Amino acid sequence: MLAFCLLSLLACATAPLPNANSQEATSEAPIHFETQVRPILKAHCFHCHGEQEHREGGLDLRLVHLLEKGGDSGAAIVPGNADASLLIQRVQDGQMPPGGKTIPDTQKQILRRWIQSGALTKRPEPQTPTLEDWSEEERNFWLFQPVASGPVPKVAQDNAYAMNSPIDAFVTAKLLEKQLPIAPVADRVTRIRRLSVDLLGLPPTQEEIQAFVEDSRPDAYERTVDRLLADPRYGEHWGRHWLDVAGYADSDGYSEQDTERPWAWQYRDYVLSSINADVPYDQFVIEQLAGDELVPQPWEILAPDQQRLLAATGFLRNAPDGTGHQGVEANIARNDVIAETIKILSSSFLGLTVGCAQCHDHRYDPISQRDYYRIRALIEPGLDWKNWRDKNSRLVNLWDAEQRQKASEVDKELSELEAKRLIELDRIVDEIFDQEVMKLPEDLRQAARTSRSTAADKRTEDQQKLMRDYPSLNVDRGSAILYDGARINEFNKQYETQQAEIKTKRPAEVFVASFSEVPNQIPTTFLFSRGDFQQPKVPVSPGGLSILAEHDKLIPDDPNVATSGRRLQFAKMLTQGVHPLLTRSYVNRMWMHHFGRAIASNPGDLGLLGERPTHPELLDWMANEFVQTGWSRKRISREVLLSDTYRRSSGRIAQDPDNDSQNIWLGRMNVRRLQTESLRDTMLATAGILTLRMYGPPSTVNPDEVGQTIIGKATRDGNGILVAKHEEVADSYRRSVYVQIRRSMPLGVIEPFDPAGTAPNCDRRSQSTVATQSLMLMNNSSVIRICEHFSNRVLREAGEDPMAQVQRAWQLAFGVDPSETQRTRTTQWLVEQRAVLAQPNPEQPTAPNAGALEPAKANQQALALLCQALLSSNNFLYVD
Amino acid sequence: MNNENQFESQRCVSERSSRRHFLAQQGIAGATLCIAGLAAQQAAGEPPKPALEPIQYDLKPKQPHLVPQTKAMISMFMQGGPSHIDLFDRKIEVEKRNGEKYTGDLKYDNAAESSAKIWSGPWKWERYGQCGMELSELVPHLGSIADDITLIRSMNTGVNNHGQSIYALHHGRVTEGRPVLGSWITYGLGTESQQLPAFVVLTDPGGLPVLGTDCWSNGWLPSLYQGTVIRPQEPRILNLNPPPHLAGRPQRAYLDLLKELNAEHLASRAYENDLQARMSSYELAEAMQTAARDALDISKETQETHKLYGLDQDATREYGTRCLIARRLVERGVRFVQIYTSTQQWDHHGNIKDALPGACKKTDQPSAALVKDLKQRGLLDSTLVHWGGEMGRLPVVQNEKSIGRDHNTYGFSTWLAGGGIRQGTVYGQTDDFGYQAVTDIVHHYDYHATVMHLFGLEPSKLAFVRPGGIGTLLDGQPGKIVEGILKQPLAKSPA
Repeated sequence: MLAFCLLSLLACATAPLPNANSQEATSEAPIHFETQVRPILKAHCFHCHGEQEHREGGLDLRLVHLLEKGGDSGAAIVPGNADASLLIQRVQDGQMPPGGKTIPDTQKQILRRWIQSGALTKRPEPQTPTLEDWSEEERNFWLFQPVASGPVPKVAQDNAYAMNSPIDAFVTAKLLEKQLPIAPVADRVTRIRRLSVDLLGLPPTQEEIQAFVEDSRPDAYERTVDRLLADPRYGEHWGRHWLDVAGYADSDGYSEQDTERPWAWQYRDYVLSSINADVPYDQFVIEQLAGDELVPQPWEILAPDQQRLLAATGFLRNAPDGTGHQGVEANIARNDVIAETIKILSSSFLGLTVGCAQCHDHRYDPISQRDYYRIRALIEPGLDWKNWRDKNSRLVNLWDAEQRQKASEVDKELSELEAKRLIELDRIVDEIFDQEVMKLPEDLRQAARTSRSTAADKRTEDQQKLMRDYPSLNVDRGSAILYDGARINEFNKQYETQQAEIKTKRPAEVFVASFSEVPNQIPTTFLFSRGDFQQPKVPVSPGGLSILAEHDKLIPDDPNVATSGRRLQFAKMLTQGVHPLLTRSYVNRMWMHHFGRAIASNPGDLGLLGERPTHPELLDWMANEFVQTGWSRKRISREVLLSDTYRRSSGRIAQDPDNDSQNIWLGRMNVRRLQTESLRDTMLATAGILTLRMYGPPSTVNPDEVGQTIIGKATRDGNGILVAKHEEVADSYRRSVYVQIRRSMPLGVIEPFDPAGTAPNCDRRSQSTVATQSLMLMNNSSVIRICEHFSNRVLREAGEDPMAQVQRAWQLAFGVDPSETQRTRTTQWLVEQRAVLAQPNPEQPTAPNAGALEPAKANQQALALLCQALLSSNNFLYVD
Repeated sequence: MNNENQFESQRCVSERSSRRHFLAQQGIAGATLCIAGLAAQQAAGEPPKPALEPIQYDLKPKQPHLVPQTKAMISMFMQGGPSHIDLFDRKIEVEKRNGEKYTGDLKYDNAAESSAKIWSGPWKWERYGQCGMELSELVPHLGSIADDITLIRSMNTGVNNHGQSIYALHHGRVTEGRPVLGSWITYGLGTESQQLPAFVVLTDPGGLPVLGTDCWSNGWLPSLYQGTVIRPQEPRILNLNPPPHLAGRPQRAYLDLLKELNAEHLASRAYENDLQARMSSYELAEAMQTAARDALDISKETQETHKLYGLDQDATREYGTRCLIARRLVERGVRFVQIYTSTQQWDHHGNIKDALPGACKKTDQPSAALVKDLKQRGLLDSTLVHWGGEMGRLPVVQNEKSIGRDHNTYGFSTWLAGGGIRQGTVYGQTDDFGYQAVTDIVHHYDYHATVMHLFGLEPSKLAFVRPGGIGTLLDGQPGKIVEGILKQPLAKSPA
């Protein structure tokens, strides 16, 4: 059976308990309540038997002495006698937990053995369980410990590896300990391609490769790293990484309406430019969480830096938002915006999924339901669901005084014109009516005139009948066009021209979609029973996670400030430099982008359900280093890039699993596929058509005739149906980060290769290898068009000679010359294909392309096929 | 139920709400060569972790909730609104009062040309089959399968506009953006063919239907469930077929070179599984191309079959070809096929005397041929066939100068055949003028509930968790299974 309940309840699907506990579950070791039993009961039972005010059957399972005391049916456990214990009986016969859920057998065994061996606790228990009284085990979880500044392991330099950075010491120490092979440093061509794709999302040109290979200076590599970090393409590529977690999109999502967000790009540009300018991460966090608090209200004429701060708060406006959409229940939609914003906020800055605590205490992590509502209280003053502000009213106008003046003059002119238009239109409608009346028998005409001048609901029976018998009498402003199309069309055209003319005088609109609070209007946040906004319980004050105790305490709102100031306080608290989650989650994610796998491999869930970090000491060392060096993202990345670990070759020694087939321990570099945006951008760059214009409104996307999303404006086809057609304009070939992200319409050439999810955000992209990707590279019209551009470029640059063409195409696609064999073999293929295509096709004499091609055309097509093969080859798609 | 996970939400549902091509989607079952990095890490015996990865949806065949009575569906959508009172629903009262004024209220779409003058068409009526179904002389081929079909004369969507009514019949509501019936069926049941799209749309060379690609939108279901268009011209399936100038010889040469390049690249990276997987994915892609080419190649059909569908006549050749392709697709395991006529083909506001016979000429023979052909191949019992538009027409004249009929969504006709549908049956009635459905009214949501039932799906259980709540096809509307058109009474369906 399917059981559907609240979305958020479902989002916390029952999961097995983490294996941290099962390691201790050998049959000999004594079982303690705190370490092994409590997590089972917490996951399956606490919700009804403990957390809520009303405890089912009067039974509280949170402490052993409460279990012994039992509930309405008597003691839940009899220490030493599992069979006599109600807990075991109920669990065994499947009565508990109710609703068809079951506790796995291994866990039942633990419960049984624990009772059998006397129901031990590790330490004396308090009299009553207090709210958010986290157990010692929970407090000891690695993530909640202060960032350690432990020693860097001492590893001697060796011929096989270098110690360029403390990073190498941490990684190499583990490799040596596990006796795993360490790959040598990769060659220069490999290294510069790796660096360039990693930092810019684009491969190096042949000239850049050449220069690096020939640079004999000892710091050639460092220079390359610094050059790339300073390249504006860096912000585009690494900005895209941040947009993944921030859940950026140019449309609302949520409902089928998926309304566009015409000003969302201001936030995208804030991110890209901040990363290029290496805005310190602490400042970056503060600006996104509370930029609005740094710009005094009211907001009228805003300075550029103030505009930038407001754009930053777009972070808090990225969540899918169905408010104002047709058929959407307003209160549900509003509360969903808040919930999704919390999800984005917590996975971005805390690396945790706090969403599970919306309805009940988190089943696994020490996050209470109250914690969840504390975080909600941070943003609720800006997302006040009982006094909701629609999207347009949240837009902040960036016009200066002169532009405002001009606009209001134009608006006045427009409304005068509109009034004039309506008067004239009504006159035409009257004339049409008069003509219709004349078609009636004479004796009815006067009655028809009277009926029409009578309001519809005031008409007599006879008048109504008359209007029914002669339906054409019901002419109005809307239907007039059906009577006299030519005249109305002419009329409309004339006014539209006048309107358009006046509108050209209006300054172009510039807005920013900002997050903000209404001064002196701070709502109370309540804890919602079962996450249901119709069941508010106790008021909750703002704050962070209680498990972090002092870290996350916030002082009360300052009564002298008109807005709450909560987010600013919270952001400052996060960025003091000692918060264990903020820095760890950043450097963990950064590591993922450099190596393809994070140190704790679920960057959005560092909690109990996520994988433990493989190199916890390294993670902490980097987190410390990050803060010590001024929160510079470029500096901490530079540290990684200069390490020996990062420079290693990707050569795999063997397929032996003992040799770390997953490369968890980083004895070598991972072979990685281009990210989907990079794949498209790289194809465009190789073909020589990539447009590097930065920033501004995105290139729009729309469905084409079969519903595949392409870049282009929707225009009406011959039948008046809206479809997009491909256009060869500069906007079609901008970098993918500047292509509109409609949540319901992912771009056809982007979607097959695992783009970021936008419901609401993406912590880590999936990596798939499926036939649809191959089909796209083989047949997609956009891909084929790019290949034709590529072949034209080769023809321009290399001329007609087949070997020169192979040479040039190879250089452009891979950045290097082909080997002698490669050149010979590929040239041979090209010559063959030229000849074949110049002959009629005997196999398919009736096929549309069966005929022989003109030699020039055959040569061109053969070259385009060569280009397509290069662009879809693994050598192009993957980076060593 | 063994497939409940399919419908249950898990954490991090990142795949949502997109409208695009099935071929741009990663999750085609059988095509998945995903290297599951984390999965491999988990030691055997260790309990599986909850999905921290986005859920992968697929098109593998799935068991329905109940015993199904049909496996596939072919829907012939007659866009524009065929005139039921001239084709399927004879009204003696209209004939008797031809030329008089209609006295009740009527809802018009075009007030300027409207009139209240009752008009009876010039076409004769005949009784067909053993069941004696009364049909217009304009649809004699339908008459020849009268004993195989159920004719519903009491359809009602109640929204007097093409767009809204098409939406209602496609996805249950009058607004845009929801998943259409074909998306729901393939979401629930997957497909029997892993090398062909699950949900195929055959568009008319005359153009897209009036709502364009919304007609096969997956709405907020994963984009995997969007209909795949088989275009009237090459490349027939975008992304699956190369553009014409690359088909066959050139593409093979390209693939040969690619294979060579990849093999050489792999030689020095022998243990990179993903590189090997990508090479294999090209082989699978080619297999899919072959399967599609084969399904569309009607030259393998006999002379008799060509004739049956009217491929030997100009008027029926094009539409007949698409009907025949629909059969070939269903034969190969495709779950849902939607055939469209061109925009407003049936929207006879004027010139109905010529235009209606024309539209019938195009569709009557091929539509009936499809039923006959499915039957003779033993496929009709497992294939539900639908024929109908989004509305009927009014009993009064629109446009005296060139007589036509205005919209009517309050009472119109549709026929169904095969897959669990009663044979030789007429169901429901409109009033004396064919204006309003009055007996056994079938709303669009009743139709949907019934189609779902025939597939063995329970409309309330086939659900998708989306922001703001649980989405279903019926969306809370009181859709009831229309028992009177079923072969098997409801009580006999084991629950």
